[in-house]
Amino acid sequence: MLPLLYVVVTAMTADFAVWQRLWSTRVPELLLNTLSLSIGVTVINLILGVSLAWILTRYTFPGSGVWNWLLILPLSIPSYVLAYTFTSLLKRGGPVEHLWQSLAGAEAVLFSPFSLTGAVLVLALNTFPFVYLLARSALKNFNVSFEEVAHVTGAGRVTTFVRVSLPLIRPSLIAGLFLAILYVASDFGAVSLLRYQTFTYAVYQQMTGRFDNTAAACLSLVLVACAFVFLAGERWFRRRSRFYQTTGRYRKPIPQPCHPLTALLFTGYLLLVFAAAFGVPVVLLIQWTIEAASAGHLSGKFLGYVWNSLSLSAVTATVAIVCGIPLAYVACRRQTWASTLCVQGAYTGYVLPGPVAALAVLVLVSQIIPQLYGTVFVLLLAYLVHFLPAALQGMESTFQQLTPNLEEASRSLGIRSIRTFFHVTFPLVRGGFLSAWILVFVQCMKELPASLLLRPVGFDTLAVRIWLEASEELYQSAAPPALLIVLITIPVALLLMQKDRQTT
Amino acid sequence: MRPRIRDTRLVIPHFLLLAAMLAAPSVCFADETLVVYSGRAERLIQPVLDAFQAESGVNVQMLTADSTALVNRLQMEGDRTPADVLITNDAGSLERARELRLLQPATIPGIEETIPPPFRAPDNSWIGLSGRIWVIVYNTSLVNPDDLTSILDLADPKWKGTVAIPSAGSVYLQTGVSVIRAVKGEETTIRFLRGVKDNAGSFVYGKNRQIVAAVARGEVAVGLVNHYYITRHLAKHPDAPIAPLLTDQEDNGMGSILNAAGVGMTAYTKHRAQAQALIQFLISPKGQRLFADVNKEYPLNPQVTAAPELVPLENFRVANVPLSHLAQLRDPTMTVIEDVGLR
Repeated sequence: MLPLLYVVVTAMTADFAVWQRLWSTRVPELLLNTLSLSIGVTVINLILGVSLAWILTRYTFPGSGVWNWLLILPLSIPSYVLAYTFTSLLKRGGPVEHLWQSLAGAEAVLFSPFSLTGAVLVLALNTFPFVYLLARSALKNFNVSFEEVAHVTGAGRVTTFVRVSLPLIRPSLIAGLFLAILYVASDFGAVSLLRYQTFTYAVYQQMTGRFDNTAAACLSLVLVACAFVFLAGERWFRRRSRFYQTTGRYRKPIPQPCHPLTALLFTGYLLLVFAAAFGVPVVLLIQWTIEAASAGHLSGKFLGYVWNSLSLSAVTATVAIVCGIPLAYVACRRQTWASTLCVQGAYTGYVLPGPVAALAVLVLVSQIIPQLYGTVFVLLLAYLVHFLPAALQGMESTFQQLTPNLEEASRSLGIRSIRTFFHVTFPLVRGGFLSAWILVFVQCMKELPASLLLRPVGFDTLAVRIWLEASEELYQSAAPPALLIVLITIPVALLLMQKDRQTT
Repeated sequence: MRPRIRDTRLVIPHFLLLAAMLAAPSVCFADETLVVYSGRAERLIQPVLDAFQAESGVNVQMLTADSTALVNRLQMEGDRTPADVLITNDAGSLERARELRLLQPATIPGIEETIPPPFRAPDNSWIGLSGRIWVIVYNTSLVNPDDLTSILDLADPKWKGTVAIPSAGSVYLQTGVSVIRAVKGEETTIRFLRGVKDNAGSFVYGKNRQIVAAVARGEVAVGLVNHYYITRHLAKHPDAPIAPLLTDQEDNGMGSILNAAGVGMTAYTKHRAQAQALIQFLISPKGQRLFADVNKEYPLNPQVTAAPELVPLENFRVANVPLSHLAQLRDPTMTVIEDVGLR
């Protein structure tokens, strides 16, 4: 909360001329860019997410069980890693262009990865699993009776899908899309490597290209304002579109076996999406890593980066949980206006994209505790501001599942509240906390903009190394850290998927 | 009592880790380590620092970021900065740091004879190390070099879709535009930038290396880069159809755009001796040779000759804008660049 306030104050006290210049030159373009990127990603996400979920919930064919798992894997690739593999794939004279020219003739020109199309493609392939996952669980718990009624009254397949099925899964779709858009708007890694100007990237450029941070703060304020409007819109939309099961007749959809030819078609489609979003990039990373290793690029320094990333992420996750416990507990058990304010304040970190959070922490630290500037604490603080909300969300829902009766029973037996917490509450919520810890840990491993801006001397993280090497187009040197991050993230993605399965 | 045992098992390792982490920064800055903030690509400066470390035995640690960002960082850190030396890829950032009193004069014996006065601050707060000129790179099979006599010609509509330019964040572009503004005035500069922006279209690159590669592949006919990226590319691919073009050489012309990478000792360093030893090494013939041979830049120490494939520095005209002026030109130049809409 405090960091956000600082950004607001800096921006508000900015010279009017700065504001005027930004409004007339940068803001409209950045708004348009961010908006068109979001819309592009939304459209592709909808098409990919719904079609994949539809295929996998309505049909069975050989291998359809495996796809449920494989389609989660794209979430384990950080956006900047996907972006940098795509710059290599799509560059002029690159493999995709060769393929395209052999199909469409030698004169055919492919779009540049450094464009709106490139950015949309990369970010859509990076975020479609959000929409897919939510669409899938909605389609699974879907009451087929509605569709049957439509069929009986003479509606064709397409009409049924568009008029009945789609509206029914709309709330889940919208939730997935909001997640994806929030991700796109706050993404720094992919847009910076693809040099596509969005608000987040512009804030970073202002911070690193100019001798004062006023313009950066102003742009941040506009971005944060947009994010708040967006979040409010999401709440409103969710409240408006709820569907309820009204009758007792509920039948789950049963996946139908399909014609071998259709199965082949489906498999081809799934394979294409999977290859683009995960398969090909990872194969490239492995190939480059082998090349880097044989060229002797893997030195002792690399282990240092690994240690920096691992230790900092672990510490941040631990601190986030420790700080989060009282906040989450208070939010669930003792609701007062003060506690609500406190918790909602912590959630503002959510709407602060990386560079903005970094800027806020930077200003805050240099004003209040300048001794800490340039140490690893600043980075820790920035991570906390950024990722505490994610931890809070997980922990809050864990607390909510726990009935207060258990604690009350313990208290009525004369045990003090602290002991009650450690002996009764804590053992029961441990599982939920562990997954919150893992979530924060992985987010920190992938974090780029704040690490880039705030790292102390000699404290490069894996993400920073990837970005520095990739922005020089040194594909081989960037590959080993990238591959490592993907490998660490895969089990986590699968773990979350398993939890998702248990709940549905 | 079993729950308690399980609790402590979970909590203790985490706190141990936490404690270890908190101790980590103090280990990082062992007393003898010289901390260098560097705005240059790691690839270009690491070999030089390695050579210094081998010769002097002083342990050097480097933080790489944009030159401007490093000056901002030094300013924020004030007297608590861990940095001893600032190396940047343009003299403007160094002069700016000097104005902000973030640098202090270095006492280097023989500096007067080693680096000519235009390439260092009057009080030696910063010292130029290597010169680079912002030139046109052209594809020899696509372009007749006689068609271009000035950088400003690139704004001509006949080059539409064939020009590659650096992105607005590039310090080289900022320097180039600053010099054009200082010599030709605001209006000409804006007209030039508008034209170049239209001609470049989507051929806007983050790195000089990419521009040279694009020209070599014939995707574009011409590009704007620092000269040594061309030389380095040719050293690797001798058959590449590219060449540098020195423009604006006519008698009343602007002259070529020269900038210098340089070094300064921070105002609050606790390692004066080692910092000055590093600077001394960087301007010594040995250090300068590395800039000349490895990087193909112009060594600023006249005792060291530039790589043979370069036109000697004294054989062409350079724009008459002192390096120290680049600092005050920077922010207004950024505003012009942004107003025109370069990205």
